[in-house]
Order: sequence, then C-alpha cells, then structure tokens
Amino acid sequence: MSEEQKGSDAGRASLFSQSRREFLGTMAVAGGAATFGLPRMSRAQPKHGGTLRFATRVDGAGLDPHRNIVYYVSNPMAATTQGLLDIDQKMEIVPGVAEEWDISDDLKTYTFRLRKDVEFHNGRTVDAEAVKWNLERMMDPATSHAFTRASLEDVESIEVDDKYTVRVRLLQPSAVFLGNVIYYPVNLIAPDSVDQADTHPIGCGPFKFVSWKKYAKTELVRFENYFESDEFGNRLPYLDAIEFFPKREDQVRLTALRTGEVDLIENMAFSDVTNFKQSYASEFQTWDVPQVGSGHLNINVKSGPFAMDAPDGKLLRQAVAHAIDKEAIHQAVFEGLAYTLKGYYSEASPWHMPGIRNEKEYDPEKSRSILRKLNMENLPIAVVSRQAFEYMQNTAELVHSMLLDAGFKATNEVFDNPVLRQKYANNDWGIDSTATSYRFEPDGWYSRWILSTAAENELRVGYKNEQVDKLIIEARGTRDRNKRLELYTEVESLVNDDAALIYTHAVPLTSAGTRRLKGYQPAFAGPYSIAGGGIRTAHFEESA
Amino acid sequence: MLVYVLNRILQLIPVVFVLSVLVFGFVHALPGDVIDSLAGDEAAEDPEVRAALEKEFGLDQPIYVQYAVWAGKVLQGDFGKSLVTRRPVSVELLERIPATVYLAVVGIGLSMPIAVPLGTIAAIRRNTPTDYAAQISSLIGISIPEFWFAILCIMLFSLHLGWLPSSGYVSPLDDLGLSLTYLVLPALAIGFRQAAYTTRLTRSSMLDEVHKEYVDTARSLGLPERKIIYKYTLRNALIPTVTISGLQLANLLGGTVVLESIFSWPGIGLTIYQAIQLRDFPVIQAGVLVLGVMVVTINLLVDILYRFLNPRVGLS
Repeated sequence: MSEEQKGSDAGRASLFSQSRREFLGTMAVAGGAATFGLPRMSRAQPKHGGTLRFATRVDGAGLDPHRNIVYYVSNPMAATTQGLLDIDQKMEIVPGVAEEWDISDDLKTYTFRLRKDVEFHNGRTVDAEAVKWNLERMMDPATSHAFTRASLEDVESIEVDDKYTVRVRLLQPSAVFLGNVIYYPVNLIAPDSVDQADTHPIGCGPFKFVSWKKYAKTELVRFENYFESDEFGNRLPYLDAIEFFPKREDQVRLTALRTGEVDLIENMAFSDVTNFKQSYASEFQTWDVPQVGSGHLNINVKSGPFAMDAPDGKLLRQAVAHAIDKEAIHQAVFEGLAYTLKGYYSEASPWHMPGIRNEKEYDPEKSRSILRKLNMENLPIAVVSRQAFEYMQNTAELVHSMLLDAGFKATNEVFDNPVLRQKYANNDWGIDSTATSYRFEPDGWYSRWILSTAAENELRVGYKNEQVDKLIIEARGTRDRNKRLELYTEVESLVNDDAALIYTHAVPLTSAGTRRLKGYQPAFAGPYSIAGGGIRTAHFEESA
Repeated sequence: MLVYVLNRILQLIPVVFVLSVLVFGFVHALPGDVIDSLAGDEAAEDPEVRAALEKEFGLDQPIYVQYAVWAGKVLQGDFGKSLVTRRPVSVELLERIPATVYLAVVGIGLSMPIAVPLGTIAAIRRNTPTDYAAQISSLIGISIPEFWFAILCIMLFSLHLGWLPSSGYVSPLDDLGLSLTYLVLPALAIGFRQAAYTTRLTRSSMLDEVHKEYVDTARSLGLPERKIIYKYTLRNALIPTVTISGLQLANLLGGTVVLESIFSWPGIGLTIYQAIQLRDFPVIQAGVLVLGVMVVTINLLVDILYRFLNPRVGLS
C-alpha cells in the first residue's frame, strides 16, 4: 500500500466511522429511514408514489445551477442536483457521485473514483470527463457564481485518469478540499445540455426538472435512474413528484399548510413555533433545525476608534461585547428557540468546541466604566442590518438599545443588500447585525471570513491577527479532526478576545408537515435533500 | 373620433420618451452597485470579475450610450436579458403582467356593479337608513387596511370554512375553474376597498347632479324620475367615477405588492420589488416602462369612454 493510499484510507475511515455511527443515531430518532449500508429495520417497505407540495420561503433567482446559488435549505432546484460528494443528516461528508477518494501525502492531489451507475437526467453517464467539464465551467467567472467559484479557487488542474477516475491537483496543500466538492454549491449538470441550463437544467440529483414559473411554482418529477437505494434495494426517491410553491410570508406558508394546500413548509416564524407545536400536534409534525446559520455582530475595525491598530481599539470593542445581552436577544428575537454562541458552531454541531475561552460576559457597567476610563462616553457608533432578514433587524434594534444603555451614542439603520455592500466598501458603518449560513466544513468559515486575506473579511470587518491566520492555515493542512478542533478552539478564543466579531446565536429553523408524510427529516442545518434521507426517503402514509 | 384617438396616441410618444428617460435615470441612480450583486460576496472586489461583468452587460459604457442602446432595442421589442435569470426580460414580464392585469381588472370589475348602484341609491335616498348603511359600509371599506381585510378573508374562507385556497395562482388558460378559486380572495380584497371608494364618489357626484337646473327642468317637463336618474343624472355623475376608477386600475397594476405577497400572487409588482432588491436593472426598467405605458393607455381609454357617457364632451 502506498503512502498516498494509506493516508487516504485513514482520512476516509475517520469520515465514515463517524458519519455512519451518527447517521444511525439520527435515523433512529427520525423513526427509521432508508439508507445505503444500514442494517435492515423491521418496518414496511415504503412504496413509490405521491406528489409532495412543498411551500418554501424563497424561489430560485435563476435556473442555471452554476451561475446561481442553489441554496440547499429552500431552493427547489436543490433536489435536482448532486455532486462528487454528498452530506448526511448530521452535515457530515459522505460519498455522492464519487464512491471513493484518495488524498496524497502532500495534500495537493485528490483522486476521486466515480460510481459507474450514475446518469444525468438526459441519460448521459456521469463520467470523469463530465466531472472535469463541470469543475472547469464552475471555475470560469463567465459561467459561474462567485460563491461556487470560491469553492474551487485552490484548484490548479483537473485530469481524467480513466472513464471513472478524476484527479484534482491543488495550488496549495489542503486537508479540507472534500468539503469543497459537495453538491452545494459544486453540483454537476450534463455537459451536452449546457445550452438549456438557463431554461431547463439537466442535473443528476434525485428529481428531474419539469417546469418553473417564477414566484409561483416549480415542478420536479422522480428521476427513475437515480443511484441511491434503500435497505430493501428499492431505488430512491420514493415520491413521484414535488411541487414547490414559493410563499415569502411565514404566515402565508403556515396557513397553506393548515388549509391542506401544501404538505410541507419550511421556515416557520419563531413566534409561531411553540404555540403551533402545542395546538396542532395531532394534525402536523414539526422538525427543528437547530443551526441553519450563525448570527454574529461584526464590528468595523478597518478605521476609526474601533480599528485593530487604534490605541484603545481592543478595549472599546470589548466594551461593545460587554454591552451585548445575548439572553435578551435569545428571548426577544428567537423566542427562546436558539442556542447562544461563543464560537461559530453550536452545541448541535459535530464541530462544536466546548473549550472556547474569552467570551465577554454581559456587563453594561463594565462597558460604561471602560468608556469613562477612556473619556469616550457617547462615542458614536452606527448599527446596521440587512432588510431581507427580520431577525437581523430585530437583533440590531436590541443591540442599538443595549449600546445606548452602555453609554454609546448609537444609531440604527436598515438597508437592502446592495446599499449595505456600498456602505461596507465606504467604511460607512459601525456594527453590522448579520449571519452566515452553516458551514459543514469549518474552513469554509475560518478561511473565508476570519482569515485576514479573506475577501469577505477585507470588505467588511477588516480583522487582522497574525496568530489567528497562522492557526487557520495550519488547520487547513491538518488531517486529524481532533487536532483541527483544537486549532479552531484557539482561533475562536483569540477572536473572542479581540472582539472584532461577536457571535450571538445559532439561527434556528422549524419545518412543519402533514402527519401523512413519513420518512422525512431535514439535515440538522436545514438541507432537505440529503444522503439516505430528507426528501429522498420521504413518502406518504397511503403508499406505505 | 378616429382623428382624436390617433392624435392622442401621437401625444403619447413624448410622454413615453420622457418616461423612459426618467425610468432609466432613476434606476441607475439607485444606491448600490449592480456588479456587487452580480459578482457575489466573495468576488465583488475582484477587478477582473467586475470588468467582465460590466462588459457583458454593457455597464462599462457612458450612461447616455447605455440609454441609447437600451432604447433602440426596446423600440425593436427587445428589453434585454435579466441580469439574474439570464432569461429575456420580455419572457419574465409576459409571465407576470397577465396575472396582475387579471387580478386588477377582476378586482375593479367586482367593485363597479356593487358600488355604482349603491352610491346612486344612497344619493337618491339621502339621509335614509339605506344611505346611512351605504355610507357606513363604505367608510369601513376605506378604513380597513387592504392587507388586514385580506387576512380576515383568508381566516374565514380558507381556514374556517375551507371553501377557497388561501394563496397561490393558476392561470385561467390552464384551468379556468381552478383559477377562479384562487382569484376570489385577492379580487375580493381589492374589490372591497375599491367599491368603498367608488360608492362614496358616485354618491357625492350624484348629489351634485340631482341639484342641477337641468334636473329641475326635466322634472317640470314631467319626465319620469327613473328616466331622469338613469338616463341623464347618472351618466353625468359617472364621469368622475370612471376617471377615478381608471386611475385606480392603473394604480393597481403596480401597487398590489402587499397583496401579491399575502396571496403568493406572481404579479408584476412583486417582480419589480424583487428586481429592485437585486438591482436587476433590465427588469426594473422594462417593468416600470411597461406599467407606465399601460397607465397612459388606460387614461386614453378613459378619455374615450367620456365620449360615450356624455356626447357633449369635446374630442378636440
């Protein structure tokens, strides 16, 4: 066995042992579900059939899954996509189109061996050439979204070894690249269908695209040749079709569920969750997603009194941190449903780090005392938030009043995204109440947001800490998961001490559905199409 | 008549030209950079990406060149491509405008047969219980916010009675019967408020008319009261009602964003609102321009309708 092979096996074993064990636990909680490789459970075989009507908060912006972000929590098109690798209910990386992979010792070459039974929806085989074509299309700024492109920014070249083996060479060593070839956002479309990518995309996911009426309805039908099977050998998915209905307003989705117009909704209003669970438990089931994203307060540390290089910048930022009452936000904004955070990952996540230090406790008197000591009482600070998300605005309102209480001269304004980005670029803001979607690969957070050279950090916060940078880069080159957790724990402790970014809450999400719907559970961070679960194993009681 | 209509159509040309300049100017004056939205969070600062996108969408040209190129294409029926979906804007609009027109026309259409007779009867029976009932109901209609009335309708007809779907849209071309079930509640929400306005307007117009000398003359000549009211008075009283209803219809074409959200109705208002949030300039420009043209066209039709209501109205 070569050194390369040994290294890869170790990495793979680690991934699989964990995901399989946790997967079993999850599925038991879910009431049992089908998945490949699991022991048989004594339950009736679900039958194929039925059309699921699913109301989502958003609709896709466009159809081409490379040019647009196919957000895997709520975008209808996510059910049509699949990638080299997949994720399971615990958001762990599991095989997708690629069934095995090797990582070279120098962490610069990833070799993926593909399943031989995977087809695109038009019947073309998903082979190494198709994978190479897709990755190259996603690396081209002319044909891809920046978010997708960023996943592949370390790729130097893609080579086809044989029909079912593709080799990816990286520009720099990376132990985390597997996280960059999951179907979100690196999904595969049929190369011979590129001309219709904007009108009728051809993917290789569990459902096939049929039609899209923007803001009205998306229709998908079961892909009969999808490669996943249940423990009985039946092809997944079970459902014949899904009809997605975008309904922006939380109450509208809930009403549609209650009137029987839809079978499943995502993203209930926080204020409805507790009452709905109590009042309608006999008719409807709910699924709690503990961390669809992480809420945080960014402080502008590029210039001004809070800057990294300002003489009292750190002390002032800590004064801000002491002014923030996370418990109040927890109750008022999230109705007591959210985890409070002291790092990016909540207790619900397999990447949770219990050893994080230096979280600043709520102590407004300490804030006032710092301001008095520095003779900076009534220091102006502009709180900003994004219009699209109510919880960000509500958090900003509370933060605004907390800062006033602590002796800052705070203002509070809400902007839509383009204006806010202009404000970032012009340094015309102080504290941003924001959030980011859950990162199943921690490097996706630390390298893209915390690292001093990360584009998003440079645009917004401007955080710079050489020790933090060093730890993030070291973690990127570390295979051992526990060692990486230690490194990230240290990163978070330093971030907390610098207080340029204050973690507040894991953003929760609750989905609800009719009791007729069986075998469905979204991943713990919200994706509804997951390996051996979610929409792929959903079925109706009548067909059981 | 034909000359009048042609003349009015010619007058529309400078109006539409000014409108197009204003629309184009305002859209480009919106705060926030479209390239930021297009490039995404991680690449907005990459000069190469920015340059490529600017070139792809012609945003690297001076603003007047951009306008000239856009206007030239619009004259040929080409509104360009959406920056977000990459689909032709005309396709985007053609999917939305019929839904909005359908809702607005039926909403107004529901209101008129109720409001005009009610306003007329209220005026004829002034200061009677019928008049008070009409005034109170119209006051309620004006006072209740449309969105709240919509929610009440959903609670009653969808949640409690289960008679109608709470939200969604089906094209009448796909399934007329089903389409009407989806239409009833939003049309009712619009129609109730419009009926309230129109009732009050018809009543006050009628009161003005019935006190005019020609009505006294008609009565002194022994004409039946019914003939005086319905043949002479009402026709004159309807002129302001038609004017205002025309304006209300024009207003509804782009002003039902809240109702479109509540009923998940895929109309043009919601589309333009979303396009503004995404800074999808071609969609905003085309959407607002098309709505503007529809408004001036409705005004033209209203003017022509005057002629039928009152032949004495000059068409010069």
